[in-house]
Amino acid sequence: MQETAAVLELTLQPTYRRPQVRPLKIFAVDPMQGRTAGNRVTIDLENEPLKPGPVGERIEVVDYDGAHGRFYPAVDLDHPLLLMNDGMDPTESDPRFHAQMAYAVAMRTLQNFDRALGRRLSLGSGHGRGKLRLYPHAFHGANAFFDPKLNAVLFGYFRADRQSPGQNLPGQTVFTCLSHDIIAHEVTHACVHHLRRHFLEPSNEDVPAFHEAFADLVALFQHFSYKELLREQMQRSRGDLRERSTLVDLAGQFGQATGTGRALRTAIDVPDQKRLEAASEPHERGSILVAAVFDAFFQTYGRRTDDLLRIATGGTGRLPDGALHPDLVARIAGEAARTAQQYLTMCIRAFDYLPPVDITFGDYLRALVTADRELAPDDEWGQRAALIEAFRRRGIYPAGVFSLAEESLLWEAAPATFPTLELGDADTDILDEFVSAATAFSRERPAPAKPEPEPADAALRNRLKEYREKARYPTEAAGGEKDPRAFYRRLHAFAMANRGLLQLHPEHTIAVDGAHTVFRVSPNGQLLIEFIVQYTQAAPDADPELGGLPLRGGTTVVASWDGTIRYVIAKPLPNPTLTQGQRAAAVARRERQKAYVARCDAADPNSAYLDAKAFGERMRLRMGLRALHDGGLA
Amino acid sequence: MTAKKAIVRMYNVGFGDAFLILLPGKGRPHRILVDCGSIKANGVPMQGVVDQIVADATDKDGTPRIDLVIATHRHRDHVLGFEQEGWEKVEVGEVWLPWTEDPDDPKARRIRETQSGLAAALVPRLQARLAAGSDPAGKAALDMALNALTNEAAMATLHHGFAGTPTRRYLSAQTKPLTTPHIPGASFHILGPSRDEAVIRDMDPPKNQSYLAHLASLDPGTGGAPEPFGAEWHGHASPPTGATLTAADKERIDAFSEDVGGLAAVALDKAVNGTSLLIVLKVGKAHLLLPGDAQWGTWNAALQVPEWQALLRKTTFYKVGHHGSHNATPRGLVDDLLPKDFWAMASTMGVDQWPNIPKKELLAALGKHSPRIARSDRPQDAPKPWFNTAPGYVEASIPM
Repeated sequence: MQETAAVLELTLQPTYRRPQVRPLKIFAVDPMQGRTAGNRVTIDLENEPLKPGPVGERIEVVDYDGAHGRFYPAVDLDHPLLLMNDGMDPTESDPRFHAQMAYAVAMRTLQNFDRALGRRLSLGSGHGRGKLRLYPHAFHGANAFFDPKLNAVLFGYFRADRQSPGQNLPGQTVFTCLSHDIIAHEVTHACVHHLRRHFLEPSNEDVPAFHEAFADLVALFQHFSYKELLREQMQRSRGDLRERSTLVDLAGQFGQATGTGRALRTAIDVPDQKRLEAASEPHERGSILVAAVFDAFFQTYGRRTDDLLRIATGGTGRLPDGALHPDLVARIAGEAARTAQQYLTMCIRAFDYLPPVDITFGDYLRALVTADRELAPDDEWGQRAALIEAFRRRGIYPAGVFSLAEESLLWEAAPATFPTLELGDADTDILDEFVSAATAFSRERPAPAKPEPEPADAALRNRLKEYREKARYPTEAAGGEKDPRAFYRRLHAFAMANRGLLQLHPEHTIAVDGAHTVFRVSPNGQLLIEFIVQYTQAAPDADPELGGLPLRGGTTVVASWDGTIRYVIAKPLPNPTLTQGQRAAAVARRERQKAYVARCDAADPNSAYLDAKAFGERMRLRMGLRALHDGGLA
Repeated sequence: MTAKKAIVRMYNVGFGDAFLILLPGKGRPHRILVDCGSIKANGVPMQGVVDQIVADATDKDGTPRIDLVIATHRHRDHVLGFEQEGWEKVEVGEVWLPWTEDPDDPKARRIRETQSGLAAALVPRLQARLAAGSDPAGKAALDMALNALTNEAAMATLHHGFAGTPTRRYLSAQTKPLTTPHIPGASFHILGPSRDEAVIRDMDPPKNQSYLAHLASLDPGTGGAPEPFGAEWHGHASPPTGATLTAADKERIDAFSEDVGGLAAVALDKAVNGTSLLIVLKVGKAHLLLPGDAQWGTWNAALQVPEWQALLRKTTFYKVGHHGSHNATPRGLVDDLLPKDFWAMASTMGVDQWPNIPKKELLAALGKHSPRIARSDRPQDAPKPWFNTAPGYVEASIPM
């Protein structure tokens, strides 16, 4: 009795509500822009308990410097002095701030993925690597990359060029982990890898370019979420986003420090239908996709602010000389931020509608259009029309569509006769999946180590712990662990039974590469629930002409909440069960991969100097993001 | 009278190129020397090869005469011979070099400075790396960097040497064929190197290439990685609370800081090869395709031009690019353009550190078009009757 009273007393003590968000200071751009007010910003992150590192639930920072074989001290963001101050103040000279910034921008990027995908993206890779690691000072070099083997992002540091350092000091140390864009870019590589693990395999020239383009898109759109930076830049450019500015430039300090005299990349281009054909270097090719999306973004932004400009100028729309009214700046900046967030969400959301292997820019356009139309059929601001036009102006056409009309760009809907995804037994109820995905989002994060004084008695402590657990996780504690493998087995059985319809090869092994539930709220308030499964296959015989990569096929299945199959997005392996047209496309895809390997061989000076073994797996050697970034383009 | 022929003589220099082309002339043949260099001799030392070339070019009056000397690019394996004795006696009509060797062209000067600066920075670093222990990759990289050093003495001969005050020309891709009064009847199509920005990028790697930034960033005092933070932050050999790092992970991370010399050496090699002249010599029916070590960038630009595609379809002799490495002979050239039954010569030799040169598959692919292929290091295998062999060289007679 006495025991219970003590438990009650402890738990009934009025506690403080754990704040929803944790504010942290960062450089909005990089230290080179440090002197401007808009560059030192405080961002709000989900308030997860953090151990020194910081080490959170999905991301952890380990500050190991491989060039000097030493560790730098970890930052304790839960230290009262830092909690009072929104973390450490931005500085280049204290490695602990570097860890804070890397963590903060990585979390912000991850939260953008969560929000757009409608679920919590897991970044664990198995093999005891349950979290994405960030190494802010991993090596000496003008580079940064995501390493799938370590499931980590490694940031380099280097001295700025002595002759032409741009706005840096000659020879000053430049930290890639202090560049917002580089952090966001690399963490996006990690997120993309966890969404589509075969997209690191260069099976056609769009695949590595897409990885780069997507990482740039996320980094660039995030600029618009920093209000102070945005207002400052909007005042400077007088609301014209197409003007080159920190908003649309990527990695300014890095670009200048390497002696090029400009930012690393920009979202602005001069549209040219021929450029795509000539551009084979992944970053260069990717920049065409980035510019296409931004072109559409500028159009939508223009539509949404034209009225404001007219109101502010007595109907002419022509701004007078001099500084803009701060109210006007705030309003158009708000529109820019909202539009950017919508575009970012749209870009990420399209992932669920991508084939699991061998993506092309055209596939991405189709996924964008389909995903957005599912959610917002009426396209109020003409976003989809703007996207299609922007892609067209850059020569990006999907294969196998009749026209660039929105209807023909949609993925083909599965026929009504298609069997439903039946998973309704006790172990593997699809609705269970929906529920657990939904609760994963809203579930309160576990509390920090010592929120309240603990009783000294061990038995009491245990009882208290049990009580808390039950209170916190009612469903799991009551229902016990489910076997996730049973669920995957059912998905596999579905694929085996419907190989032909899913365009899967009848003899090769089918892997269930991922399955998840998606909840989205459409602009008109409707809840859209979907279930997405990815199946992949690999041709078993290695073809020497493919340079060590397998020929892969695969199908993404999009089902609605009741198991009705909506879309079958397939990249099949050549096989006899396909229709004639599908088979021709599958064979063409294989030949395209071979031709791509041959082109890489020709362009790569290394290939002359590889030994027989390395030559046999040359495409694997080329596929690392590090190798890709050795072109010097983080 | 027998039909006129162009004779192409490939000297066995080891790993390098030296070709003497003899065209019919009045009283004496017209002579064109394309490259003369080696980085690894195959029996005969370089001076021996030079002596033989000079002797072969000597007229009855005892004076050696070469109408045209072409140096495709400044790599040691193409120019080392010009460092040797004996050229001061040779009367030369013209010397042709790629535009990147023009002493008065500022852009060319910048490209040369970048390339030789990189070579000069790399050589001592790679030498130090080799001194630390056996390192096959380091050896291969060092050989590449040495190959790209300025080769000043050789270049001095090409720019200022020879008897007979030759005219110097610095050439870039141009649609109008060149002629020279020294060799009437021959026209030279210059297909590369282009002055196109995309091609120049291959010759002059942008500064933001990570290996360049890495080299520029090394600490001037220690030669190692710069110190990112003040001394108060040093001295943590083990991870702070909580973090774990396995030995294997540590090793993998450490490796990313290691020398990027190998990467830089390959890029440098590509850069210098990118300056290589790419010439089709047309004389009568004979179309001799002389690509030096032209790389993908130069080839790709040339293959875009329809007139040149038509020209390449008429090839009757092909000097296999870059000692038979497979990325110096585009697949499109072999599959789509080269006709049947041309002559081909590969000046090459197997070198331990580069087992893929020459590339067997490439020689096999060429073999499908024509059995008339000879290798400098295997003169005994040069198929008869298409090739003659003599001590020191293999020779083909191409109908005109």
